[in-house]
Amino acid sequence: MAETNEIALQVKDLKKHFGGIKAVDGCSFDLPKGKISGLIGPNGSGKTTIFNLMTGVLGADSGEVVYRGENIVNLRPYQVFNKGISRTFQITRIYREMTVFENMLSASSMRVPESEAREQAEKLMEFVTLTPLRGEYGGNLSYGQQKLLEFARALMTDPEIILLDEPAAGVNRTLLQNLLAHIHHLQEEEGKTILIIEHDMNVIMNHCEKIFVMDYGVKIAEGLPDEIQNNEYVIEAYFGHK
Amino acid sequence: MLAGFLVIAYSLPFAIGIYTENVFFDRQWLADLATVVLNGVMQGGVYAMFAVGLTMIFGVMRIINVAHGEMVMLGAYLSWMSFFWLGFDPLLAMVFTLPIAFGLGWMIQKFLLNAVVGGPELTPLLMTFGLGLAMIYAVEAVFTTDFKSIPYAPDSFQLTETIVVGKSRLISFVMALVISVGVFMFLKKHRIGKAIRATSQNADVAMVCGINIYGIYMVTSGISAALAVAGGVLVSIQFGFNPETGIIYTLQAFAIIVLGGRGHYIGAMIGGVMLAVMESLISFMLPNGTALVEIAAYGLMIFVLLIRPRGLMGPKTD
Ligand SMILES: Nc1ncnc2c1ncn2[C@@H]1O[C@H](COP(=O)(O)OP(=O)(O)OP(=O)(O)O)[C@@H](O)[C@H]1O
Ligand SMILES: [Mg+2]
Repeated sequence: MAETNEIALQVKDLKKHFGGIKAVDGCSFDLPKGKISGLIGPNGSGKTTIFNLMTGVLGADSGEVVYRGENIVNLRPYQVFNKGISRTFQITRIYREMTVFENMLSASSMRVPESEAREQAEKLMEFVTLTPLRGEYGGNLSYGQQKLLEFARALMTDPEIILLDEPAAGVNRTLLQNLLAHIHHLQEEEGKTILIIEHDMNVIMNHCEKIFVMDYGVKIAEGLPDEIQNNEYVIEAYFGHK
Repeated sequence: MLAGFLVIAYSLPFAIGIYTENVFFDRQWLADLATVVLNGVMQGGVYAMFAVGLTMIFGVMRIINVAHGEMVMLGAYLSWMSFFWLGFDPLLAMVFTLPIAFGLGWMIQKFLLNAVVGGPELTPLLMTFGLGLAMIYAVEAVFTTDFKSIPYAPDSFQLTETIVVGKSRLISFVMALVISVGVFMFLKKHRIGKAIRATSQNADVAMVCGINIYGIYMVTSGISAALAVAGGVLVSIQFGFNPETGIIYTLQAFAIIVLGGRGHYIGAMIGGVMLAVMESLISFMLPNGTALVEIAAYGLMIFVLLIRPRGLMGPKTD
């Protein structure tokens, strides 16, 4: 993919408070198009809440998420999904009483003919090596396999932006290497924009081009991996607390 | 445990029969018994069909719709109107009464229930309660509380020398079967049906997989109302009805889904047949004991709840 500085999506001054908790408190960043970016920060810094605001799972108190010139904040989750932004969850959200294959099909657009959806599901299961488990119930999969399934399902509608909430957590090394290879494939071969929330610094530092750091609901830094590694605010947020 | 319980439960009517000296074991009595059971099964099919509507709403939205029986009652009046005002065969009239019902269910969902689904459980419950009362009084305002009935196929089929089945009952059963199978096929095969099942499994997941769950809620309510109205049409050609009969159907539908298992469609079919067979057995053994029929039927429900809190087809524990 050619180097560009295009922006896929803008987060503008987002705010979300839960009672007294300022989960997201005026956060802004521009998500670069066609790249893998990382969103990091200590526990409870508001990362997942940002994803929830971006995908309509939560309504925002104020602020905007601009995608293709449109503010998509406060749309319903299915509307955001159908616009081409899909995601995975920190705690996987799959149908436990449906098979792997049915889980995949459940995310297909009603506008796509069913035969096409089936083909796509087959292809994606192959892609994440879940084909041998196609008839297995979601609830019977290991945690790592559930994450793979959720990841593959997020690709069913061929989204432009993919948001991954802690894809590495609880996933064994082999599966993780697999997953990372898939993520790179999506970015390099298909030009997808990817944003990853992750605590595993190896994943973040070795696989993301751009990193955003949050603490207490605000962005405290952004930059390239080595810039972030040496940023004093980041070091303070992670290691030394005020 | 369960099988033993069911054997005991269904022996109860016979014990009553022996006590009231209504058990004879001669040929005629056995034929009568067969007729009663057959009638129970057929009636159960109709109950089960509209109970499926109730269980769908519960399964998909976790809403307890206590106006479901009033929708059945409305179906009976729609049937009556198409027969007496428009001169249509009530069964043929389903071609338009069912779409009307679907539209009504859709609107109720869109304008009332969608606003409260997912919130505190009491709100939708009270809302459907109010809706049910409003429907009763609206129908009463037009038709008064007088009982109405439709003279439809009053004759009978002679199945064997001794077993006789009411024509309207048999027709109702067949219709209920056709409609139920149609709804099952829709839920199983059609993509909207699959989306309905997906939503009932987990609305949170469905929502983030691109399913417009509010749209699914409207379709579900539409189908549920259509099933209730179909039930109303099918009972209207067999029994008299007035604006208050809906309450009985709400109770019946509840008993059925409790028996079968909440949100379980096949369970509702089994529950429907179980309840109706129990009812007809008791009234056969005790011709003047209407109150006892109800006590036994709902006693059955309570005991199943004790043994299997989630119904016969549900998981063993809650
Ligand atoms: N639905 C909610 N209701 C109330 N408080 C919430 C809710 N969601 C998040 N919070 C609170 O908001 C804050 C930010 O939570 P969030 O899940 O966004 O953090 P995070 O950065 O994803 O943390 P982690 O790394 O542990 O996943 C936390 O204090 C959390 O307890
Ligand atoms: Mg989180």
